[in-house]
Amino acid sequence: MSVSKKIVLVGHYGVGKSSLIRRFVQNIFSDSYQVTIGVHILKKTVPYKGEDITLVLWDIEGKENINQSRTSYLLGTSGFVFVIDPTRDTTYQNLKEELIFLEKNYPKVPVIKLVNKSDLINIEEFQKVLAIQNLEIDFFSSAKTGENVENVFMQLVSKMLGT
Amino acid sequence: MNDSEKLLHLKRLILNEDWNAAQRIFKRLDELDKELPGKMDTIVTKRLDKYTSEIPEKLGPVITQALSEEIKNSQDRVVDALFPIIGKMIKKYIQKEIAILQENINKQLRNTFSIFSFRSKSKKGTPKTIELIKSEIEQVFVIEKGSGLIIGSYTKHATVDEDMISGMLTAIKSFVEDAFQGGQQSLELIQYELYKIHIQNFSSYYIAVVISGPADDSFRSKLEDKLFDFSEQYMKGEVDKLMIANKLANFFAS
Ligand SMILES: Nc1nc2c(ncn2[C@@H]2O[C@H](COP(=O)(O)OP(=O)(O)O)[C@@H](O)[C@H]2O)c(=O)[nH]1
Ligand SMILES: [Mg+2]
Repeated sequence: MSVSKKIVLVGHYGVGKSSLIRRFVQNIFSDSYQVTIGVHILKKTVPYKGEDITLVLWDIEGKENINQSRTSYLLGTSGFVFVIDPTRDTTYQNLKEELIFLEKNYPKVPVIKLVNKSDLINIEEFQKVLAIQNLEIDFFSSAKTGENVENVFMQLVSKMLGT
Repeated sequence: MNDSEKLLHLKRLILNEDWNAAQRIFKRLDELDKELPGKMDTIVTKRLDKYTSEIPEKLGPVITQALSEEIKNSQDRVVDALFPIIGKMIKKYIQKEIAILQENINKQLRNTFSIFSFRSKSKKGTPKTIELIKSEIEQVFVIEKGSGLIIGSYTKHATVDEDMISGMLTAIKSFVEDAFQGGQQSLELIQYELYKIHIQNFSSYYIAVVISGPADDSFRSKLEDKLFDFSEQYMKGEVDKLMIANKLANFFAS
């Protein structure tokens, strides 16, 4: 008997949410951009401490701001992955406010903060940018190379299951 | 014989011819007197008939002209007066056409039925057309609201991934309910080609039933009762996915 968890990837459109899920579930990547309309659901079962955990991954359409997302898409979520694109500063301009929004509406639900498309940037340079804006980030990942993708989800699983 | 008698006699002798002629004339006059009214009648009647038959031609244009002017001057009143009449006519016509159509469909259905399943026909006698396509429960999902995670499910034939179906169902349901925020409304039925998905809401979960076939109101009403029963009996306390799956199978497999 496996445990199931709903995970939602949030962030502006084009940051790589769909690509990250595709990389994680199917281990593929495509350079062509397909806009996600509404929501797309994929799942992956991962082993965790001798148990099978089924992750039901909600890939929702990107919005300019998290508070524009359909509340109902976010309900019942066990874990969020907040994705930003380091090449477009509009995707992290309001990161603090958006994280506060999540914290307020979904208290105790863990959130992983993720800088995707790390293959396109100098990570050290970008860390300075983040430091100036006083932003804390959990991972640098790349859906293109697969860098850190697995780790992101495994970290979220361990946060969700409280260990 | 006096003088006057003698004179008369003389007159007859002399004027015999004229006298007879006069007599004939008088007689004819009498006859004409009797015949004339009849003859006149037929002539007058004939004239009248002719006149009547000419009325439309002669008076028609005049009347039409007058009417059309009258209608033009009071269009609203005319429309008001005609509307219900025309409306009723149209409705009647359509009803009749629909009845014919329906009858044709039923006829075809009966034919189809007798070709495909004459065996059950011979058992039960003439089948009702309604029974033609049976509604069947294909899948039952008990789904947690919000997360869209499966609490339990029953599937006749294992098909697509259940976790994804229940997730998508929940997403669609939320989308529709968000989009039409008309108070406390909720999505109750999804139609997809040959399938219908009956959705029944409970407080923290909902039950989705995939049905093949027509699934008319009476079928869905019975199903609704069944789901209420199920919820009352099993959806309380600690629910276990496997337990719910087993109960669903017992409840819905037939
Ligand atoms: N170079 C690079 N491109 C990426 C990466 N992730 C996504 N992309 C590209 O970014 C675009 C948007 O990605 P998508 O996953 O559709 O973004 P979403 O709108 O957040 O779902 C696509 O053209 C992807 O190919 C990455 O890690 N590196
Ligand atoms: Mg997308």
